Amino acid sequence: MSDKGQVDTIKDIHWLMDILQNIDVGLVVLDRNYEVQLWNAFMEGHSGVSPQLAKGKNLFSLFPDLDETWFKQKAEPVFQLKTRTFTIWEQRPYLFHFRNSRPITGRSKFMYQNTSIIPLESVTRQADHLCVIIYDVTDTAVGKIDISRANQTLSEIQVRDTLTGLTNKSAWLNVLENYYASQQQGCLLLLDMDHFRDLNHALSHQQCDEILRRIGTGLKTLGDEQHAARFGGEIFSVILAGKGADEAMQIAEKLRRSVLSLGKNSQYTISASIGVAERLDDTPSASEWLSNADKALYHAKESGRNRTSLFKR
Amino acid sequence: MSLNVLICDDSSFARKQMARALPKEWQVEVHFAGDGVEGVNAIREGKGDVVFLDLTMPNMDGYGVLETIRRDDLPAMVIVVSGDIQPDAQDRVKKLGAMAFIKKPIDADKARSVLTEYGIMTGA
Amino acid sequence: MSVAAIINEDQRDCYQELTNVAMGQAADRLARLLNAYVVLPIPKISVIENSDLNMALQGATSDSSVSAVCQGFIGAGISGEAMLMFNDASFASLASLMKYSGPLTQSAELELLMDTASVLIGACIHGIGDQLEIVFNQGHPVVLGQHCDMADLVAYGNNGWDKALAIEIHYTIEHVNIECELLLLFTEESVRALNKKIDYLLD
Repeated sequence: MSDKGQVDTIKDIHWLMDILQNIDVGLVVLDRNYEVQLWNAFMEGHSGVSPQLAKGKNLFSLFPDLDETWFKQKAEPVFQLKTRTFTIWEQRPYLFHFRNSRPITGRSKFMYQNTSIIPLESVTRQADHLCVIIYDVTDTAVGKIDISRANQTLSEIQVRDTLTGLTNKSAWLNVLENYYASQQQGCLLLLDMDHFRDLNHALSHQQCDEILRRIGTGLKTLGDEQHAARFGGEIFSVILAGKGADEAMQIAEKLRRSVLSLGKNSQYTISASIGVAERLDDTPSASEWLSNADKALYHAKESGRNRTSLFKR
Repeated sequence: MSLNVLICDDSSFARKQMARALPKEWQVEVHFAGDGVEGVNAIREGKGDVVFLDLTMPNMDGYGVLETIRRDDLPAMVIVVSGDIQPDAQDRVKKLGAMAFIKKPIDADKARSVLTEYGIMTGA
Repeated sequence: MSVAAIINEDQRDCYQELTNVAMGQAADRLARLLNAYVVLPIPKISVIENSDLNMALQGATSDSSVSAVCQGFIGAGISGEAMLMFNDASFASLASLMKYSGPLTQSAELELLMDTASVLIGACIHGIGDQLEIVFNQGHPVVLGQHCDMADLVAYGNNGWDKALAIEIHYTIEHVNIECELLLLFTEESVRALNKKIDYLLD
């Protein structure tokens, strides 16, 4: 090699070293005993540990928080099989705990990291060192977490009534279909507020919402196995799973009385009418069952409201 | 009469690669088989004094060929040439009577050293 | 769907043999990691169209509930993506072979998936690269999904390719219930460049 060639090569290496120092990813070279051999500016910047301090130190004594067992599980195959290993933030949010370094745009308390662990071969072709490359993936991770939260909220919205937290009508109708298809016995209950339009005029919106919310809370106390829903407006529906007509009527009566008690200290009467329909052997479909409950409800309204009525053919 | 060498592999590329790796000065007649069944037939026809045998093949795999050779006591010296380099695979074929095991991809140096080591090719 | 469209029979045979060698190297590493014997099948080489990708995936495993990781790689103007799919029934055996203690939670499964993927994908693509004298650089792996339906794994979309070379390897581990499918996909331009290297070998 000519002198000029040699100078050029040295210059190239110099440049490369400069770039490695300043590149915006973390670079750490470790030997077989996990002692630090190289520590770039990214690592120094985020950890506060200088290359001089890090050099020759055992990684796990420098960073006692680092999960040694886990890291070695990833790193040992790299030494032994000379294969690259990758970790992603979904497995563990980070390898090194680095605090958020961006007061304005940083959206997480710590840096999410992906890492690559690559074998470095010696002249004897043994992998006696490895290089850990640390990528800051905080923005990607935070974005993904946001999206998955938003999706979760969306799917909640699709099945829930936001005012009462009960199941909404379309989701409840699905439950009803499935319940009917599973051949189980039980009763359907439809509860409709009496003269709710008048109440709406007399009371504030918030007060009316509060009444509906409290009925929702009351229905929730029946338990998850009794599927309660806000069927629409001021109508609520419940599948009383496994209950016979007598028991269902007792529950309905209790509900009717508790609705009545909501108006105890008010100048207005708050009441509800309730229709109950038992699933009979010849109830031909879920929709027929529901329509039977509706007929019973109609009967309760017709006979003067604030009462409970059981479907009879 | 020259030695009959059989190269048994389902890949024509691998057969060609194997044939190329044989020492140029080795005076032999080379035959080819595309799977284990063809391979066994060729051995029965006396075309396989030395067999270079692949393991993963359709119809009958290399293990099947080795078993047949042993069961029917066919006269063949088998050198397994395989990409399955797991130690277990090497043990298994040796137990089934293979003389040697060469890791794929094959090259001339590997072929020569095995042939000399087992005295199959003399005077090289 | 015609294989002849982008590769000929000699080339197909050559891809199969290169894969055979590479997957053997990958299996050897996996075998050493798990201390078990990996059964090697004959790899399947085919040309698929973009719209067939999902169908190809569905044919890949018998189980409908799967977990999968993808990893891109690139070198010498040739790029491709590898995908490793596990049927979810495999994780229990995998955990015991890898000596993972503790409950098999979704995150424990992710660890197993990532560890296996690192070994299998890396060894396989470097094995192919070595034989063709291409140094492949691997991108970072991406989890496609855990416990998802095969059909939901890959989103449809016009992502700029029509035909691709698909290499499918179905790994099983002897005596235990572990099954996984490694799929390597090279798009048409990459196949053209690969074919040149292959033709050189065939010459």
